[in-house]
Amino acid sequence: MSYIAFVEGPLFLIAATVFVLGALWRVIGIIRIGRKKDISPPKGSEAVGFIRGNLRHFLPRGIFARRTWVHIVGGYGFHLGLFVLVLFAAPHIVFIDERLFSVPWPALPRWGFIIAADIAFAGLIMLWVRRISDPVMRLISDWDDHIGSWLTFLVMFTGCLALQESHVFLRATHMLFVDIWLIYFPFSRLMHAFTFFLSRGNTGATYGRKGMSL
Amino acid sequence: MRVAISVVLIAILLVLAGSVTAQSVRPPGDAVNLEDSNTLGPSNALGNLSDSDIWRDFRGGDPMNIDDIIRGPIEGQMMTRSGQLWREIRENYIRKYAGWFPVGVIGILALVYLLMGPARIKSGFSGKTLPRFNLNQRVAHWFMASIFIILGLSGLIILLGRPVILPIFGPTVNSIMTSAAMQGHNLFGPLFVVALLWMFIKFIKGNFFQIVDLKWMIKLGGLIGGHVSSHQFNFGEKTWFWMVILVGIVMSATGIALEFPWLFDDLRVLQASTVLHAVGAILLISVSIGHIYIGTIGMEGSLDSMLKGEVDENWAKEHHDLWYEKVTGKSATDDSTEVTKEESGS
Amino acid sequence: MSEKSDIAVAKFLEHTDSEAASFFEACVHCGECADACQFYLTSGDPKYTPINKLRPMERAYKRDKAPFSSLKKAIGLAPSPVTEEELYEWEPLVYDSCNMCGRCTLVCPMGIDIAGTIRKMREGYAAAGIVPEGLQRSAEFVKKTSSPMGVTIKALKAQIKHQEKATGIEIEIDKQGADYMAIFSSMEIMGYPEVLGAYAKLFKCAGLTWTISSVAYEATNVGVQIGSGPMAKEILQRVVDAAEVLEVKHVISPECGHAYGAIRWAGPNMMGRQFKFEVVHIIELLDQLRREGKIPAGKKDSRRMTLHDPCQIVRRGGLLKEPRKLLDESCSDFVEMKGAGITNFCCGGGGGVSANPRAEEVKTAAFSLKVDQLNGVENLEAVVVPCGNCRAVFEDGLDAYDMNLEIIGLSELIADTLEEDPAPQGTG
Repeated sequence: MSYIAFVEGPLFLIAATVFVLGALWRVIGIIRIGRKKDISPPKGSEAVGFIRGNLRHFLPRGIFARRTWVHIVGGYGFHLGLFVLVLFAAPHIVFIDERLFSVPWPALPRWGFIIAADIAFAGLIMLWVRRISDPVMRLISDWDDHIGSWLTFLVMFTGCLALQESHVFLRATHMLFVDIWLIYFPFSRLMHAFTFFLSRGNTGATYGRKGMSL
Repeated sequence: MRVAISVVLIAILLVLAGSVTAQSVRPPGDAVNLEDSNTLGPSNALGNLSDSDIWRDFRGGDPMNIDDIIRGPIEGQMMTRSGQLWREIRENYIRKYAGWFPVGVIGILALVYLLMGPARIKSGFSGKTLPRFNLNQRVAHWFMASIFIILGLSGLIILLGRPVILPIFGPTVNSIMTSAAMQGHNLFGPLFVVALLWMFIKFIKGNFFQIVDLKWMIKLGGLIGGHVSSHQFNFGEKTWFWMVILVGIVMSATGIALEFPWLFDDLRVLQASTVLHAVGAILLISVSIGHIYIGTIGMEGSLDSMLKGEVDENWAKEHHDLWYEKVTGKSATDDSTEVTKEESGS
Repeated sequence: MSEKSDIAVAKFLEHTDSEAASFFEACVHCGECADACQFYLTSGDPKYTPINKLRPMERAYKRDKAPFSSLKKAIGLAPSPVTEEELYEWEPLVYDSCNMCGRCTLVCPMGIDIAGTIRKMREGYAAAGIVPEGLQRSAEFVKKTSSPMGVTIKALKAQIKHQEKATGIEIEIDKQGADYMAIFSSMEIMGYPEVLGAYAKLFKCAGLTWTISSVAYEATNVGVQIGSGPMAKEILQRVVDAAEVLEVKHVISPECGHAYGAIRWAGPNMMGRQFKFEVVHIIELLDQLRREGKIPAGKKDSRRMTLHDPCQIVRRGGLLKEPRKLLDESCSDFVEMKGAGITNFCCGGGGGVSANPRAEEVKTAAFSLKVDQLNGVENLEAVVVPCGNCRAVFEDGLDAYDMNLEIIGLSELIADTLEEDPAPQGTG
């Protein structure tokens, strides 16, 4: 079996399975730990608070802007750029079209791809260099943070190196990193992509119960 | 160490000067302008012109006619002699020698390290620190560093793939690496402009040259004539800052021209850009190796200034005495140095 | 591993419910919480980063309870076990330098409730007996007298008598079937007894009956501060029993931060049942009575004042607008300090910090942020501090920073600015 056939075939299937089942297992595992039912007389709705908490924490509070701006710019830049790349890059759409389902939206033109990629890379690099140069982040970061950042970078980077679509080797290397990333994901802090709504929601629900509108 | 950098610097400047004359050569023209060649070129080549006339038309223009050289390719012309000249400069000078500059710098630094070892803090670590770079400066620096490394490595592959990678690893590996490097280089190029601007804003303060820098330069940074004083940034750092900014502007401008050629639509600009871009890159890469050396293994206590933002007080006294005196209000040469030395030794 | 760390870890795991687990899982180590923390802001020391204070508990969870933890342990990738030395190393972070103000939650992109999780983490510390001396001493007082300052019923009765004389209104103790039963913090009883008189005036004006229990007059819950569930329950039990024996309709939580959360939100969960009475915070009640026209505002206080937001009442209690409405009606020159409201700074002594003499230095340093806020208001004459504990911290703090400023409680201000001869009540 050729390199490309392996990373796009069996390895991709294994990786995608590990990703889906692992992520589900972990989210369900967290929820299944359970918590005692709160019997204090509520002043407001927990469900509304859950949603409100999720929405509220998308926006920073002005008073903290001085320190947070690098994270806001870098964080939003990276995540939005990444989502655009994943969903709208032409080769991705072709890949999904061929294997899974027909993608109903159009591919990004090349200039759009470059802008999205530049923003995503700038954001990711900003986030990581801050991690190595801020005493607070240096103290609280662990190897998982760095591996997660680097793996994501390598997935994006190898993808961009393959942009000329002139060598199958480059495309296969991109896929290899995608596979590794998918397998690493459920066991790592990359899972924040799925756990954030629980965390924000739980706090929001507590606030909601107390009738607070934060 | 500093001498080495100066030598390299002068050599590079000479090359740069040479390339300035090279940029005015005529570019290779639209060698395959099909539309025109259909009417003027090969389509009527079987007519009543002699072979030498045909080739003259192909080549076009008078090589000695300065107007032709400056105006660039003539419409319908299939060959330009300036393209040949550009190619010769690129192949016979830049590609042949460029790689030796960074290699040479690494060699010299290795020698310096082996013979002299890292520059230590003479009075030892005091244990007390001073803030040197704030968080935004550190993030701007590392952002630039990351982009620089990606661009530097991919650029070297593009430039030196054929003379270095091809003979060793063969055409397939070279083709793959060059294709990948070009995509990566083009993608990260625009970010360099952003990083450069950010660096400029965050580091311009304290980087203007002062009288004391002249003494620093004359004493070659302390290699001769004993101690040299300096403010927050010494002559070497200031030179590096301005080199990054000024050469960086050239790199940005020529890079934009090469990445978005339709913006200029002039081959002379593109030819000049490739030459300038390559020379500037080799200059920055070579000096950056020295910068990285001093920032890491070459000098005790300097990496912390960019990671944690703080430097040891004794480091500051020895390398940036005037800055130390300004921020602490204390003298950098009084006897308390001795006291801290004993403390740190115990 | 040791006996103490075993006990602590067992409690950490027991108290890591799906909520705490979601917090540990979602944290991306961005460090923004540091900028919200008074102890980090005033020291610049990264160890005060709020999420760092939870590290032993997070480690215990990731080692023994998180999904995939057994898999990770099997291949040697689980975090190392929590040691006793580590627990002691973290003790000052968990007790001395977390006032459980919850400001970090606001800045957290994941909305992690670090203060609430510190509360759970303290359960492990309390169970293992790793508790600061000051808090332990308070706990011993509570066992004897129910008050962390050792306030006896004799002392309370003396204070009541003084206030009855000052206001000319009788305060009935143990009145069966009263509408409201008030509880107080020791700090109020001993330091600011005028609040008793203020209650008397306000309730008389509103035409409501109220009482103080002779067996359960203390609102402070040291169990909550130390983080001991069983002790918290024991303390709360006294209040619940007394209120239900007296058959009062409401229990008023006083101007005290954590006491409100302890009885209103944690209370029924600790007791495992709903109460036969309703818990209401005094600010809530005053606002309600004011809206009902039962305590109409009279001549306004003309001093230039500002309002301090006690964390457990405003940020974590949701009573943001009520004190402001009341102040606007009672004070002609009310100005907000910079950063007031939800994001206001703690006084520095919440979460048991003020009961812990070892934390004196960091507490005073933390108060400097409050000093900056107060200095930001020009010609300030007084500050309204609707929390007994905050008030005591303010007194120490203003003293330490050589500031001269009057500190007043909200109830007293409302009682002092009531309409002189309001129309007789009883309708409403």
